[in-house]
Amino acid sequence: MTTETASPAIDAITVEIIRNGLLSITEEMKTNLMRTAYNLIIYEALDFTVGLFTVKGETISIGLGLPMFIRGMAETVKAKIRHFGLENIHPNDILVTNDAYITGSHLNHFTFTQPVYHEGEIVAFACCMAHWLDVGGTLGQVTTDIFSEGIQIPIVKYQKAGVVNQDLVDIIAMNVRLPERAMGDLRAQITAVTTGERRFAELVQRYGKEAVLGSVSILMDQSEAIARANTRNIPDGVYEAESYMDDDGVEIGQRIPIKVRVEKRGDEMTIDLSDVSKQVRGFYNSGYTTGIACAQVAYKCLTTPTDYPVNDGSFRSLKVIMPMGRVISAERPFPMRVWMTFPMTVIDTIFKALSNAIPDRVIAGHHADLVFPNIHGISQKDGRLFIVGIGPLGGGWGAKKSEDGISATVCMNDGDTHNSPTEQLESKYPVLVERYALRTDSAGAGENRGGLGAEMVVQALSPFSVTTRIDRVHCKPWGLHGGLDAAGNGIGIRRDGEWETDMPNAKIFSVRVKKGDAYLMQSGGGGGFGDPLLRDPEKVAHDVREGYVSRQSAQDLYAVIVTGQGTLDTGATERLRASRRSGSDNRQNFEVIAG
Amino acid sequence: MSGIAQKSKQGGLRIAVDIGGTFTDLAAFDESTGALHFGKALSTHGQLVNGIQDTLNGAKLDVKDTYLFLHGSTIAINTLLERNGAETALLITEGFRDIYEIGRVNRPDAYNLFFSKHEPLIRRSLRFEIPERLRADGTVHKALDEAAVRELVRSLKGRGIESVAVLCLHAYRTPAHEARVKEIVLEELPGTFVSASHELSQEYREFERVSTVAANAYVGPRVSAYLGELESHLIAAGFKGSFYAVQSTGGLFPIEHARRDCVRMLESGPAAGVIGAQAICAQMGLGEAIAFDMGGTTAKAGVISGGEPLTTGSALIGGYEKALPIQIPMIDIFEVGTGGGSIARIGEGNALRVGPQSAGSMPGPACYGRGGIEPTVTDANLILGRLDETNFLGGEMPLDKAASVSAMRTVATQVGLDETIMADGILRIAVTQMSHAVKAVTTERGLVAGNFTMVVYGGAGPLHGSAIAREIGIRRMLIPFSPGHFSAYGMLFSDLRYDYVRSLFRRLDEVSFDEVTAMYAGMEQEGRDAIAQSAVRPSEVKLSYAADMRYVGQEHAVTVDLPTDLITRQDRKAIKAEFDRVHAVRYGTSAPGEPADLVSLRLTVTGLMKKPAPRAVEEGGKTPEPAALLRTKPVYFRDAKGYVPTPVYARTKLRRGNEITGPALIEEHASTTVVQPGDHLTVDAFGNLLIAIGS
Repeated sequence: MTTETASPAIDAITVEIIRNGLLSITEEMKTNLMRTAYNLIIYEALDFTVGLFTVKGETISIGLGLPMFIRGMAETVKAKIRHFGLENIHPNDILVTNDAYITGSHLNHFTFTQPVYHEGEIVAFACCMAHWLDVGGTLGQVTTDIFSEGIQIPIVKYQKAGVVNQDLVDIIAMNVRLPERAMGDLRAQITAVTTGERRFAELVQRYGKEAVLGSVSILMDQSEAIARANTRNIPDGVYEAESYMDDDGVEIGQRIPIKVRVEKRGDEMTIDLSDVSKQVRGFYNSGYTTGIACAQVAYKCLTTPTDYPVNDGSFRSLKVIMPMGRVISAERPFPMRVWMTFPMTVIDTIFKALSNAIPDRVIAGHHADLVFPNIHGISQKDGRLFIVGIGPLGGGWGAKKSEDGISATVCMNDGDTHNSPTEQLESKYPVLVERYALRTDSAGAGENRGGLGAEMVVQALSPFSVTTRIDRVHCKPWGLHGGLDAAGNGIGIRRDGEWETDMPNAKIFSVRVKKGDAYLMQSGGGGGFGDPLLRDPEKVAHDVREGYVSRQSAQDLYAVIVTGQGTLDTGATERLRASRRSGSDNRQNFEVIAG
Repeated sequence: MSGIAQKSKQGGLRIAVDIGGTFTDLAAFDESTGALHFGKALSTHGQLVNGIQDTLNGAKLDVKDTYLFLHGSTIAINTLLERNGAETALLITEGFRDIYEIGRVNRPDAYNLFFSKHEPLIRRSLRFEIPERLRADGTVHKALDEAAVRELVRSLKGRGIESVAVLCLHAYRTPAHEARVKEIVLEELPGTFVSASHELSQEYREFERVSTVAANAYVGPRVSAYLGELESHLIAAGFKGSFYAVQSTGGLFPIEHARRDCVRMLESGPAAGVIGAQAICAQMGLGEAIAFDMGGTTAKAGVISGGEPLTTGSALIGGYEKALPIQIPMIDIFEVGTGGGSIARIGEGNALRVGPQSAGSMPGPACYGRGGIEPTVTDANLILGRLDETNFLGGEMPLDKAASVSAMRTVATQVGLDETIMADGILRIAVTQMSHAVKAVTTERGLVAGNFTMVVYGGAGPLHGSAIAREIGIRRMLIPFSPGHFSAYGMLFSDLRYDYVRSLFRRLDEVSFDEVTAMYAGMEQEGRDAIAQSAVRPSEVKLSYAADMRYVGQEHAVTVDLPTDLITRQDRKAIKAEFDRVHAVRYGTSAPGEPADLVSLRLTVTGLMKKPAPRAVEEGGKTPEPAALLRTKPVYFRDAKGYVPTPVYARTKLRRGNEITGPALIEEHASTTVVQPGDHLTVDAFGNLLIAIGS
């Protein structure tokens, strides 16, 4: 009886066993990081990514974390390999950097990497990026260069052969506002990478280097095959779309164009991002790797959405044209602090470009912002500085050809990110959440409607400063195929009981509010899909009964008449729809009420 | 062990009945004779009480002779998952009615544009806001407007509302508003099931708490009616004893409490299995064990450490993306979707997958001959000789091996393998998946799995236990007597149990111990009162203190067991040191120089019950008696590089002291134990199979 096939080919069983092993390792890295982390952004918001990489820095497996960091970590590992050379990376070395132009993101993303050694040679790398709450730099102000954003750590060794570089640690600790938290998060990240290192080494010990690395290679080939098959069935052609961002927070009202071009031939796709805006003065830039990630995330969503582990095989059939100096491929010293906002809109715009080619696989526009205000102040309890982000709020997602959009869910940049419990916030910080609710009529109308956005009102129990960096107020989440746009994001400030909501954008920097004052955050809805006049009137009546859509909007946008008791008036609805279709009742005359 | 003050001498039977998805299991202990009885019947959907009567009849037991009737059931979790609970309304602090729908806004299926999120059990139009607001310190920010609440509740009349859930923000601090709202609802809508969040959870996290109270209100009327019906049935049949239900902690509570806090019964069956494992460990003097349970669709693992099951403060019910959180103490059980029915397929990219699709019982594995054409884990076991065509379920259910081979071949040829290699491969893949469940409760908590004994049960568990143990580096495995009825058996060992948690949010170095002591005293009083109401009075009450702690600035807290004297001595240093130690064990790091928070205090009040005596088996020689050897058949073992002649023994004929060296199979009615080459089996005094795992 045969046992292992002696041929160089590795059988399907071994590949699947190794796949399970890889998933289990990245899962354990994630668990260890989360439970040890000090800050809410890591523990509750899950703003981190862990992964395993080949000796060339290719992604083997990335754990559930930030989808937009799909590229950043692999490129950081590659940069570290280039910097030292494999021969100078020794067992129990741990390499670190937060260089924004390498990670493609902001200085908060400290990234640690440890080599996995097997019989005297490196077989893989374990890596962990996590968001530190504060890395120094200006607090709550827009920045215009990287130097005002905090401490920069080039690629260096945090640990050499197991010995920690304490000088480095001391330098970092002196340059951040909350050193005890930063050091806690640092320890959590070390736990994550050492876990990954140990488990991968065990896997290789158990199954042999050839079986493990051979399986990794086969897994990448399998992902490639799925990606190619799901690319081949997209009609060949050139597809283009555009959208824009509100502004860069410095030149208020100066719109920032986002143009994308997608070319599909056979089983390959090219995404050309050359016409995305040039880098900007305000801190909304991101690095080259994030530009590439925009294309890769969009491509994965369309071709290999549920293929795990996430690995670089999925992207072999994708070519990305990404010149330097764009807002998503910025160069030193352009500011990067809010790197995550613009790329999400780039991704949505890629879906928009493909909406005629593959209408059943794309999604209408989403709220595309974390809607995550920061507040800081001095606690009246202990006289100490506090800094906290309250969010993400969650917002509406676009409708699809086959179903409605999802309400109040975190935007594309983030995946398994959680909002913060009000009861926890109020027990730690001088805030009182007055309201956290869905926004009626915020969804884009359509045959399938978008998801609803949310809103939150937060009252100051003692004075604090509030900073928001929210975009997509003006470029509202768009509908597709006749579906309508949704409400955009928005903010407001209440002083002495008076609301101020008429602002040029949703960006306010360190605005001081006093006791009893409040701020309002609103997330947009998701765009609609298909003509609202085609939506099943019973579904509209249901939405009215549940308060997702007002009676007025049901009539104005869907031509559906719902009684005060919430029942559908079929006759009146049919008459109104007939007259709308014949053009005698032009719905363009109705103003879209949103928000 | 304490004695029980029986309220009458009507009989010495203690009966436990566990209703699972497929089978209803019974275990009974007769105190007068020391005998154990077991029974099994198909769960009769919609007629659960009849199913229970069937098992009683089958085991020839009479409830007249029963002084204690213990019960676990899937009715609560099924009502939740199948969404056939009550028409329920939610009354919640103004400004917050949507938090139940918004949830935690996470999107774990991150690249899937067709993702979905949880669906609330209570639709938006039945979620009402009430004018009131507490602050985080428990003070009143806005007084409860009772008149407005009363008017609102009146407006619900005639709307078919069967159940009402109540949540006030920060009610974990001050339950007064919730309690008053509940009173008003009961005044205005008498007969309605009403549940307030503080009755179930006095911990912060409003989404998790609202989900918990909503689930309780949603399943409450149905579960309560079912338990009432069962009680009436038992009484009509002459039952004069006491009726208790099993909680997700594995502890018992009187039926009147179960009818109020129904959601505590969610995981009663799996929890009772862990209690059974704990009981066996206690008999053997084992402190550290893994309880591993594998059935048709899932495999589950729990941990016993220091002689006690590890618990968790909350769980997610349903798949992760769409899960509804339940924030009550439960035994910490990790589940993976791998079971006997898991289907092997070649998917996109020519990749082999085992599960998560399951053939269930209809059509079932290909060998059931009910129309299943895809190979499953059970088919693989049949092909490899581990299951038997003519001896499955004691021969009651013939299996079709040709169908298994044909199904297996279809998949195997697609990746260029033969059916034997494929069958073995499917089992190896299933084993790596199930190992993940075991690692999740051990290595991921900083425990060294190799130091644990694995107690293996469930119909399919003993087939795979040895392979899983090898995968993880576990040296010793134990197959209890009657592994297919193990949850019911475990219930016989349950104690009365009440768990309390109070959020505190104080720095350890600043907290007033008067506050801590008062909080514990309040929980203790509640627990003692609850136990005092119980018909069966344990003479000994045990208090287990714990605290959820974290470093100042950290978000996630760790539960630390605290010896009583640390609290009475008010020893901050020792409490801190214990926290540092637990943190280091669990996460590999600690920060002794940094201050810590006391986030919540926990107290478990246990009323110890008398335990059934271990079931002794007859002494035998080192070699099993000839009658125990049923036959010898070829069984495939990868390490032996093929099929090898393997003796098959009858479990019921094995005697204390018998030893068997693998390869061997041990057959019993609802289960088969695989002893791999290199393994060495010994039958202990209680009839457990102790297996030393070979390397």
